[in-house]
Amino acid sequence: MKAVDIVRVSVVLVVGLVVQHTLLDVVTVGGAHPDLMLLLAAAGGYSAGPDRGAGFGFATGLLADLFLPTTFGLSALVFCMVGYVTAVVTAGLVRSSWWLPPVTFAAATAAGLSGYAILGAVLGQPGMIAADLVPALTVAVPAAAVLALPALRMVAWALPAPASGLAPGSGSTLGAGR
Amino acid sequence: MLVVASITLITLSERGSLRGAIGSAKRLAHDAFAPVPRGVDRALRPVGSMLSGVVHYGALQQENVTLRRELQRLQGRALRQGEQLRVAKQLSDLQHVDALPGVSSIPTVTAQVVALNSSDFADTVDLSKGTAAGIDVGMPVVTGSGLVGRVVQAWASGCTVRLITDTSSAVSVDFGVGATTDTAVLSGKGHGDPLEVDFVPPGVPLHRGTILVTSGLQHGLFPAGLPVATVTKVSSSASATQQTIAAQPTADLASLQYVDILQWQPPPLPGGVS
Repeated sequence: MKAVDIVRVSVVLVVGLVVQHTLLDVVTVGGAHPDLMLLLAAAGGYSAGPDRGAGFGFATGLLADLFLPTTFGLSALVFCMVGYVTAVVTAGLVRSSWWLPPVTFAAATAAGLSGYAILGAVLGQPGMIAADLVPALTVAVPAAAVLALPALRMVAWALPAPASGLAPGSGSTLGAGR
Repeated sequence: MLVVASITLITLSERGSLRGAIGSAKRLAHDAFAPVPRGVDRALRPVGSMLSGVVHYGALQQENVTLRRELQRLQGRALRQGEQLRVAKQLSDLQHVDALPGVSSIPTVTAQVVALNSSDFADTVDLSKGTAAGIDVGMPVVTGSGLVGRVVQAWASGCTVRLITDTSSAVSVDFGVGATTDTAVLSGKGHGDPLEVDFVPPGVPLHRGTILVTSGLQHGLFPAGLPVATVTKVSSSASATQQTIAAQPTADLASLQYVDILQWQPPPLPGGVS
């Protein structure tokens, strides 16, 4: 990864963190709020493919973990897998439809939050499934659909699709790195 | 590789092996990040407030109506009962934290709530005072009405408090009087949901309205005697091994603005075990 890419990724992550903590954390419903950092991880996989998407997800999760009171490393694991799986699942899709990113990221957010809650329960906090998951899904999933396009723009600027990459981002009107 | 790295981090974090390193990294991150939101907050807060207003429009409208009625009622009362209002204010002042049993001898730091839940999976608030003001992880947080939670993260300019309603929160509580005092465990069930009182066997008298206070067991996480919750529902079936009891926090956790942090730490376990 070139230095300029590292700078761009850092900018996107810091902007994401600032927006999350100053803007989105205020929008709480039933104790839950939109999760931009998870959305960025999904967008990373969609835009940059499995390998770079997983790496971007890991970095995003690690940064998020620094500011969360939950188990350190949990977001890194979940976001890494979200980035990877999003890339793999969408690799064969024709990306000409405007609605594909919103639907994909909403599904990725649902899967990510569910995985987060399940892992939390495995680590001894069953309340993450029993009490927290439903409000989180109710708020974060629609928010992911709404924020999908700007998030994808941001991530595609920092993580353009591979030059040879016919898989991720090929044919995309939202475009990776355009 | 990244998955393995993540699992290693989780394992070390859960085992406590990296507690110092992770705590330092979190403090550094918070300290470095703290000035950023303050500046951005000034620009973005109106947008956040607008979004919040849109989301909560119905509730705000209802609250507005309620507040207008309350204002009219209070204005009328103020005209008629000025003297009673003054007395009511004095009584309200008496409900300050110093009036809580067992707290008057503990130094406190007053802090403002600056942020709500940072995670969808933890019921927390961020406060405006941190290690620079003598705050440390583990300190109890109270209002004049009772226990709010416990500091779980602290950095120079702020700290994070896990509320007693959080699903991973458990508080040892006492109820009853004198020789008939019993102990139970009060568990959080998530944002806005009633607390659950566990380990109360059938037949133990516990009624609606009973105030549960921190037990202050040896090496407990809280000093003894802090009001925590009021029992709201008690039921039991013949075959149950314990009563089903719900309780409501005595502190109004839904509208926290200012709280007091007790500069109190649980006594260390013998032999330095943490």
